[in-house]
Amino acid sequence: MVLELKPTDYKSSVWVDWCPGCGNFGILSAMYQAFAELKLDPRKIVVVSGIGCSGKTPHFLNVEGVHTLHGRALPYAEGIKVANPELEVLVNAGDGDLLGIGAGHFVALGRRNIDMVVMMHDNTVYALTKGQAAPTLERGAKPKSLPKPNIQDAVNPIALALASGYTFVARGYSGKVKHLKELIKAAIQHRGSAFLDILQPCVTYDNIHTYDYYNERVYDLQESGYDPEVKGEPEPKIAEAIAKSYEKGSKIPIGIFYRNPNVPTFDERLKERIPSYMQNPPAYQTIEKGGKTVISQELFEKIFESYLI
Amino acid sequence: MNSLSYLLGGPQGGGLETSSQVLSWAFAKSGYGVISDREYYSNIVGRHSYIHAKVDGEELPKDLEYPVKLLGSMDAESVFTHFTDLDRGAYVVYNSDLNSTRLSQIPSVEPEVGIKILEVLKKLNVEQDLGSLVKYLKENGVNIVALSYRDLLSELQKRTSIVAAQASRYISTIIIGASAALAGIDPEAVKYGLTRRFKSGPVLEHNLAFSELVTNLVLSSFGSPLKLDPPKADFGKLMIVSGNDIVAMGKVVGGLRMQTYYPITPAADESFTLEEHERLGDSGAGSLTVFQLEDELGAVNAAIGAALTGVRVAAATSGPGFDLMVEGLGWAGMNEAPVVITYYQRGGPSTGQPTRGGQSDLLSSVFASHGEYPRMVLASGDHEEAFWDAVDALNFAEIYQIPVIHLVDKFLANTIRSVTLPDLSKASINRGKIVDQPGKDYKRFSFESPVSPRAFLGKALLWYTGDEHNEEGHIVEESENRVKIMDKRMKKLELIEQEVPEERRVSVFGEESPDVVLYGWGFVKGAAFGAIKMLKEEGVKAMYVHVRTFVPYPKKTIQDLYSKYRDVMIGVEHNYLAQASILASTFANVEIKKHILKYTGRPIYSNELKEAVMRVLKGSDKVVLEYGA
Repeated sequence: MVLELKPTDYKSSVWVDWCPGCGNFGILSAMYQAFAELKLDPRKIVVVSGIGCSGKTPHFLNVEGVHTLHGRALPYAEGIKVANPELEVLVNAGDGDLLGIGAGHFVALGRRNIDMVVMMHDNTVYALTKGQAAPTLERGAKPKSLPKPNIQDAVNPIALALASGYTFVARGYSGKVKHLKELIKAAIQHRGSAFLDILQPCVTYDNIHTYDYYNERVYDLQESGYDPEVKGEPEPKIAEAIAKSYEKGSKIPIGIFYRNPNVPTFDERLKERIPSYMQNPPAYQTIEKGGKTVISQELFEKIFESYLI
Repeated sequence: MNSLSYLLGGPQGGGLETSSQVLSWAFAKSGYGVISDREYYSNIVGRHSYIHAKVDGEELPKDLEYPVKLLGSMDAESVFTHFTDLDRGAYVVYNSDLNSTRLSQIPSVEPEVGIKILEVLKKLNVEQDLGSLVKYLKENGVNIVALSYRDLLSELQKRTSIVAAQASRYISTIIIGASAALAGIDPEAVKYGLTRRFKSGPVLEHNLAFSELVTNLVLSSFGSPLKLDPPKADFGKLMIVSGNDIVAMGKVVGGLRMQTYYPITPAADESFTLEEHERLGDSGAGSLTVFQLEDELGAVNAAIGAALTGVRVAAATSGPGFDLMVEGLGWAGMNEAPVVITYYQRGGPSTGQPTRGGQSDLLSSVFASHGEYPRMVLASGDHEEAFWDAVDALNFAEIYQIPVIHLVDKFLANTIRSVTLPDLSKASINRGKIVDQPGKDYKRFSFESPVSPRAFLGKALLWYTGDEHNEEGHIVEESENRVKIMDKRMKKLELIEQEVPEERRVSVFGEESPDVVLYGWGFVKGAAFGAIKMLKEEGVKAMYVHVRTFVPYPKKTIQDLYSKYRDVMIGVEHNYLAQASILASTFANVEIKKHILKYTGRPIYSNELKEAVMRVLKGSDKVVLEYGA
């Protein structure tokens, strides 16, 4: 069945209760458009979120939505994807969620290269709790919500994703919806763990990282001639991408930093061990027949032969 | 003689488990029932580890007892540590090369252990070298099987191509050979045990030859004084399994097809067992995916995510890991997600006693988490129960769409037992309310009944959230909706109360019209069985009431028994607070006033339980048990 859905068909009836002008609106629009252009079946897309403003994203989408705990969006998403690799899983979580309380999960996903998309709403503050410093806020900065300047350094999300093993690493900006939509599409189409760092102004608490601030600084990596594709060994490209992510100056690169389609995905690794994994993943297993277990006495003795006397 | 208790001791990583496995297999092959508990430090190599076992020809033993008739020691520390565990006329196999070894020279002896042993030696007027201790034992009715392990190993080297560095690995074979001789195990059965352990090739051949050499040597001087009478019962087809193994088996039978975990003692072995058998025998019956996460936060939440797709899933953990899982458990409760946590209790709090046992996490299992949501808590008393509880936990989780905690403990996890094969014709699977083709108006959290029809991700537009929500799963803070959905969720507890029969919640064993009623749960069961028999010999009629589910609680049975036997009811548990008695007062409004408690991290032995019961009958309100190295 070919689906012909309009972007608005992916919009739920729930009122979007973000602050007027919130950077999240651009992200949401880009998602509606990306899903429509890829003709994705809403029941096969699972949007998993953490806590905070970005955590509400699934409720605004007419696709499967799983709004989880603070910091734990990734494990939920991974459990869903490993159990049912047919589902298209996208995580929407904040910078505090992914790089603060859930940073361990962020690193671990890269090691697995599970085929899913991680969209980080990067607004430098914990907005829903009224604007405390997030792990992406640079030291010395004092958005208006902070009583004192921030004394903790910012983590570099792009470099961390690269070091963790994500095989698609990009940065988008919610003020450039069309560009962001293309990044989301590319991330969905990538086989492996894709990370999108999405710059997103918090119009209520962060008076530094505003639309004007970003509009003056962002430039398109691909337009500048940067090639993100891994052609041979991945390490030189990882090094180049990390260097790019640390680029000093008043410019902020957006676009694809790194893409490597050659790393086996987690489902391929599982398939190596369990040949039937893809045709018969955990979610589709038949476990009973007429209310009885499918494990017969004979099969039990075969599986656990090494324990029998 | 119908039963034999023995100890095998040696340094952790020195092959003790090999000796134990081979002997267990050999005894089982000869038709006996076996149980063996492994006690060990949180250490990889070098600290004192021991196996405490019992073989029985009349029944499949569930309990462990002291004193023992045989001590097979790989090193001096084992003799120093366990000579007080020996029965009159017991046999000690030891390395006579170590006669001059002094207790204070053994670096692996914990200072606190050393001081205790020295005090005993001082009282007995025995010097602290191994030779003096052995001499004392010999003079006091213990039979000493003195073997020069060095000579035996050089004999082995002479006969084979084994080099000196490898030879020390064969000390475990000395223990096997000597024990087999003293216990008169059929040589074919020993061969069977060794073959299972070493498969084939030169290592097997060397072990077979070396074991035989040691057996013949010991037989020539001592014969088989510990030979058991031929087995009186035919146990049918048996398997030998640890608690970890049998929980894994129960899960496979119960339809578990995904397990998540983060490494923790004593839970992790279960996940390894599952992973080893992940292809389910390549039988076309499907497969099982084991997913190791980066921490228990990851493990529990990945499991819950997986549950939303329709797979039967569990996470296995122990206390510190469970603590991390609690927030996820609340999400599962809020979102009516069926997930099973297999909870292997160890000694707490904090890291506590990572390799020792306990039952101190009962209250945490029943109450952990902020907010209120329904859950079930099952507790297994032995391997057989653990198997069926693993099946039931998966059923209950789906029937009621709730998290289910399956409590086991380190004692069970690491105890190897011979058990009859489960009869799988009894293994029912009830997946609860599932809608495969949800209609347009489908609502995941429909208010129509406490348990709503459940669709899986991928089948309908579903929303889940940890926030309070409406029938569709969207966030709603309105007060009337809050009451409706809280009531809907919490009413599952009433359903569970109505539907889970009393006989599923509790078992009552032992004598009718008892003089004393033991109230316990979990691994207490085996010791209670043993103690009931011993008490009978003393003329005391004992009953044991064994709680198998704490949520729902067997209120009726406990209240009935309490109304008849309130003054002779004794709570028996491996914890300090008598947690199951606290729950008796919370859920059944009865106050059990007498307690026998143990929180050393070692299991309750049937002999010490019997003695403690006698003390309570003589007037003590509380007895704290401490036996066991």
